[in-house]
Amino acid sequence: MRRVTLPPRPDWAAQVERLGFAFHTIDDETYWDESAAFAFTLEEIERDIEAPTEAIEELCFAFIEKALASEEILTSLAIPAAYWDYIRRSWQSGERNLYGRLDLAYDGHGPAKLLEYNADTPTALFESSVVQWDWLEQAMARGALPPGSDQFNSLHERLIAAFAGLRTPSPYRLHLTCVEGSAEDKGTVDYLTDCAVQAGLDARFTYIEEIGLLTDGRFCDGANQPIETLFKLYPWEWLFRERYGEALAGSRCQFIEPPWKALLSNKGLLACLWEMEPGHPNLLPAFFEGDPRCATLSARRVRKPLYSREGANVTLMERGRVLDSDDGPYGAEGYVLQDAATNLFSADGNYAVLGSWLVASQACGLCVREDASPITKNTSRFLPHYIEP
Amino acid sequence: MKRSTQIGLAAVGVVLVASFWPRSSEETQESLVYNSLSDCRAGGQLSAQQCETAFSEATATRLKDAPKFNNQNECEAQYGANGCSSASIGGAQYFVPALAGFMLARGLAGSQAQPLLPPTAATCPPGSAQPECQQARAASSSSSSSGGSGSYGSNSSSSSSRSRAYSTTTGGSVAVSPTSTRGVSTTTRVSSRGGFGSIARSFSSHSSS
Repeated sequence: MRRVTLPPRPDWAAQVERLGFAFHTIDDETYWDESAAFAFTLEEIERDIEAPTEAIEELCFAFIEKALASEEILTSLAIPAAYWDYIRRSWQSGERNLYGRLDLAYDGHGPAKLLEYNADTPTALFESSVVQWDWLEQAMARGALPPGSDQFNSLHERLIAAFAGLRTPSPYRLHLTCVEGSAEDKGTVDYLTDCAVQAGLDARFTYIEEIGLLTDGRFCDGANQPIETLFKLYPWEWLFRERYGEALAGSRCQFIEPPWKALLSNKGLLACLWEMEPGHPNLLPAFFEGDPRCATLSARRVRKPLYSREGANVTLMERGRVLDSDDGPYGAEGYVLQDAATNLFSADGNYAVLGSWLVASQACGLCVREDASPITKNTSRFLPHYIEP
Repeated sequence: MKRSTQIGLAAVGVVLVASFWPRSSEETQESLVYNSLSDCRAGGQLSAQQCETAFSEATATRLKDAPKFNNQNECEAQYGANGCSSASIGGAQYFVPALAGFMLARGLAGSQAQPLLPPTAATCPPGSAQPECQQARAASSSSSSSGGSGSYGSNSSSSSSRSRAYSTTTGGSVAVSPTSTRGVSTTTRVSSRGGFGSIARSFSSHSSS
């Protein structure tokens, strides 16, 4: 794994806009950053990223089985008891999942370590799937990278195939939703809508604020059309706690991601996995805050709220001293403490975190985000990657 | 190969087409579109007389304005097999794209009905299951782009999924969404709205990661 400085395409903004990439710059800060790229060997990709990603997914499935049978675990994850049966049913009936992203610490040496699992509402998808793919093609075409370079990225075709298989009979009618006012979320959902249409589905967008409840208990979109299948870029823990939460169980709606993903997108997962497989090469030691075993963690550790996104409320501590933190609204439900990764890639004062994509639980893509701090936040930059020939 | 072989083509195709493809349904719902005279009569929005007038206007405009070809193959290369018919204009024999439908502005009395032609590769929406579109795409392996305004993350609210595509005599595209004519089942009514989204509003925080 190397960080390679490359001259950006002179017209890079026009080039990525040509693909419909509307959020390459966020709040006047560069988000899409092609002034450098990450180079991997095929062995690093297959041995250190792809294989561990699928191994962790398998471990997660074993964890779900265990958690659904344990009130103690469900309580420790702060899942409201009113939804335990709802989540159990979604798992036991085999509701399929579309996608997720494991965030990994990796510097090219030794095993990658799981930082967290964005199992429910991952973004950075369109730029991973399409924009960096096109960047690589152009880089090879103009001779900036050697011909025969490759990329860990079959996201696009996997997403289309996964959409077709999420529900039977297929094709089916699919609604997609996210909050109003976020270009990044809307861009991600627009891209997924495109994939769904290419899978032959009848795909319709509606903002989450527009969703209504019909008198027969089903949800409906802004045009009063009943919702049977809903892709929601909106976290389960919020759906559970909002006014329509109590209507979920009777809505006859198949959700993507399915309710059982609520167990994986929770940072409590990190403590639970370590409990199941202490010493697993791809896991960092982690415990719920208050667990006496926290004393066994290394002096440099990270405190993460059970529910947190984009690094919010995450604190990096060394011997009780705060080294880096990000403010945010999370934390009411509790925290986990995790050893700070010692294999975070850093160069020139920047830290890189790998995002390893799963589509239908298969590892099939990679993204790299870089930040000036060791906590990857919503200010991080997306850098493309390639596999050296 | 660890990357998709087709993704770039599919995705670029998506966006290039989207740049001049009408993405918002408002653009099409302002018009009435019928595939044939009998569709128009069956639709019930216009009288039989209005339908016949519109149909004959569209037929005449098509002969006047549609691209003309000297042979059938040239015409079908653009408009697909069975997408053309022969016509005698001023004593000479031509091939002209078929009349796939006609369109007239809703509420604009006296406006001329416009002819709609079969879709060309450039006017088919991405992923369209419409047979003419699959044909058109196969017939034309490379299409040029016009660089435009389509993007992921814009505020237009709905896509042109499941729409039916046509082209116009000037090479423009028209998408017709079938949902505009389909209503909600009459047995259910909306009892409330807005029960989701409150936490995102109150926290002004990130709902994604």
